[in-house]
Amino acid sequence: MGTPKAALEWHGSTLLRHVVGIVARGVRGPVIVVRAPGQLLPSLSDDIEIIEDPVEGRGPLQGLAAGLAAARRHAEGAYVSSTDMPFLHPAFVRHVAGALDGVDVALPKARGYPQPLAAAYRTDLVDTIEGLIKQDRLRPAHLFEVSRVRRLDDAELLADPILANWDPNLDSLLNVNEPGDYQDARARPAPEVTVRRFGVLRRIGSAPDPAQVHAATLAEAAREIGLELDAHIVAALNGDQIMRDGDVPLVAGDSVAFLSADGGG
Amino acid sequence: MAPGGYFGRALLVDVEDAGAEVLPLADDVLRGYLGGAGLGAWLMHRLAPARVAALAPEAPLAFCFSPLVGTPLTTSAKFAVVAKSPLTGMLNDALASSHFAIAGKLTGHDAIVVRGACSEPSVLLVDGDGTRLEPAGDLWGLPADEAGRRLRERLGKAWRVAAIGPAGERLVKYATLSHDGRHAGRGGLGAVLGSKLLKAVAVRPCTKVAPADPAAVLAAARDLRARSFGPATAKYRELGTLANLLAFNAIATLPTRNFQAATFSEAPRLAAEDLAEARGVARDSCASCSIGCEHIYRGAGGKQVRVEYENVFALGPMCGVSDPDAVLDASHRCDELGLDTISAGGTIAWAMECAERGLIDAPWLRFGDGDALLRALEEIGARQGLGALLAEGSRAAAREVGNGSEAFAAQVKGLELPGYEPRTLHAMALGLAVNARGADHNRSGAYEADLSGRVDRIAGGEPHVAAAIETEDRAAIMDSLILCKFLRGVFDDPMAEWAELLSSVSGWDVDAEELQATARRIVLAKRAFNAREGWMRADDGLPARLLEEPVQMAGGRTAALTPERLDRMIESYYQARGLRPSGLLQSHQLDDLRLEALV
Repeated sequence: MGTPKAALEWHGSTLLRHVVGIVARGVRGPVIVVRAPGQLLPSLSDDIEIIEDPVEGRGPLQGLAAGLAAARRHAEGAYVSSTDMPFLHPAFVRHVAGALDGVDVALPKARGYPQPLAAAYRTDLVDTIEGLIKQDRLRPAHLFEVSRVRRLDDAELLADPILANWDPNLDSLLNVNEPGDYQDARARPAPEVTVRRFGVLRRIGSAPDPAQVHAATLAEAAREIGLELDAHIVAALNGDQIMRDGDVPLVAGDSVAFLSADGGG
Repeated sequence: MAPGGYFGRALLVDVEDAGAEVLPLADDVLRGYLGGAGLGAWLMHRLAPARVAALAPEAPLAFCFSPLVGTPLTTSAKFAVVAKSPLTGMLNDALASSHFAIAGKLTGHDAIVVRGACSEPSVLLVDGDGTRLEPAGDLWGLPADEAGRRLRERLGKAWRVAAIGPAGERLVKYATLSHDGRHAGRGGLGAVLGSKLLKAVAVRPCTKVAPADPAAVLAAARDLRARSFGPATAKYRELGTLANLLAFNAIATLPTRNFQAATFSEAPRLAAEDLAEARGVARDSCASCSIGCEHIYRGAGGKQVRVEYENVFALGPMCGVSDPDAVLDASHRCDELGLDTISAGGTIAWAMECAERGLIDAPWLRFGDGDALLRALEEIGARQGLGALLAEGSRAAAREVGNGSEAFAAQVKGLELPGYEPRTLHAMALGLAVNARGADHNRSGAYEADLSGRVDRIAGGEPHVAAAIETEDRAAIMDSLILCKFLRGVFDDPMAEWAELLSSVSGWDVDAEELQATARRIVLAKRAFNAREGWMRADDGLPARLLEEPVQMAGGRTAALTPERLDRMIESYYQARGLRPSGLLQSHQLDDLRLEALV
């Protein structure tokens, strides 16, 4: 690739920041990033926990064990994602994480292949994984042999109406491995989102309200309607949490409301 | 000699005979409580007999001025009215603005305290010639504005008047006290004045007060004025607080139909974004204010109505009413009668739900019916029909009606909730639950944290507790210095900047750390007063509806605030405030209240 995948530019942000933001939107709880020993990461928001994989070159199970060990402090289950999935949708994350009930692993087997780095795991698998690593059984398939796995095929995933609506081709599972993959992904238009603005913000710019715009981040959405995010503006994503970080990723179907940061009345 | 910006004395007036005495205020007290709401809390500790009935003659009511009044500092022309509330039975301070603050202070006092009761409807006059009473029989029954206008015609334009409307005369428990169209609105202080048969207090300036460092104050005033024209105040300047309504609806924090929902499908009909253009006729500001937040709309029949988010919320979505004419009419009528719009709307919304459930016999009273809203206001103002019950506020009314109606009386400590949905604003939920005045957005601005993006607004925990304390502390200082809260966004380091302002005015060497300690003292003094008057742990809380019924958010999620979560936050709040687990003050905290300090 020439550039570490995590640091690839993504609509003014980085691919890592984008994927972390999408995962954060899909789960309830903290997001943990596992890096290789000494690996430099692009900047992330302060609430992201970064841990270091203690041993390099031991394959995906090693990183999975490190991440699940950290996640075990917070939750019984965790969604696990690689950093190279630019079209991951929060609805996909929510669906897979929600499928963990009663099993050890919720494993999408979509596009004909199992997707261990787009799957959900019970955090108490840590001991099992560490046992496998000691035995030099380093492939995810070894873990699936000894755990209860729910396999999620295309039909099962698309039975979720929300996921089917916003990610009908399961682009959530597209990853970028070659420069060409990245260029193709980057060439796609940003997702279409609905943007509203309230109060005095409606007097800025000439965009209609509501406006349909293409934007991959909050900052892009603001710029599309003539706003610059600053200390006096916050955004509500889908009528839910309030945000002010311009790097917050957007996906198709999102609705963004920009409002005054001062709620005094 | 008093410090700069102060006179070092309070005037105590017994309105039975207009007899007056001066209470010297030691530097220690002034520095420890600043003025405004803080000084008022100290005065109530000293002057209110324990467990006094709020409407008894011996219950004091204090007009408290502040060190910044009379300086050129923008938004500083404000005063606090402080008394035991007839609505909550606890300490209440309510702020109003403009020329009364300046004229009242320049009578030569840091506070004017009224005690006793007149033998007939009267007006209290205070100026350089002393204190005296004049009959007010001809003013009795008039709206406060009209009474003030007639008094100034009679007395002269140098006089400034704070007056009550008919609701205050009839002791409606949430009657306001008004000056120049601005209201010391919450907690029923108009009824306290009414119980003394005082229609109004009129003040005329007769002296001057200088800051310790006039050049520094002038420089600060220029700087603050310039900052007040910036983006931090644009919302207030351009659309006013009504700009909240549509935005709050979008994020499910617009209480609707007595907190049965957090969104109102007809909210766009009441939105400032459109109404300002269609009905806006003027913009106004208080004396000494460069923001100009007051937006005047044209109501039905050409009536001019001051529009704020809180009055539109309370008389609109809270009652399910979306007709702008009806809401503006109701708001105008509240101004004329002298009713707190938040408590009036909250109490009527509770009654609408009771009527729809068949708990009270008022088939005419239904959510969404603007005529019913107006009729209810008339009956409250006259204390007639259903109004006799509703004039007591939602808590007392619910106790009388029973049948589970207390669960949906949207009040804390008897004070009706403002337009901030606690289930989707968990820091604010805590702020509303623990504040000494009751459910109030001006003494606890914890919604700032919820709306900042720094906390998860529907998962209240430790960050929310810290935010609630921080905003409560800041409000304590702003309400005591006094500066308008609409200015708060222009300060980068509020405590340090406010300390500098106070130092320039008073000549004291105050720093941020001292001001922080002062904020804590003021907050705790209010809590200590309430404890003296019978506060109990259960008074810090929220109505059952808000703890038991989830509310739908705009994106489809539900938000809930459980009793356990709120209790955890309250316990953390007590701990962080250094209080006992019971919520009462520790002995060293009581010692710090300076209640023995008299010259």
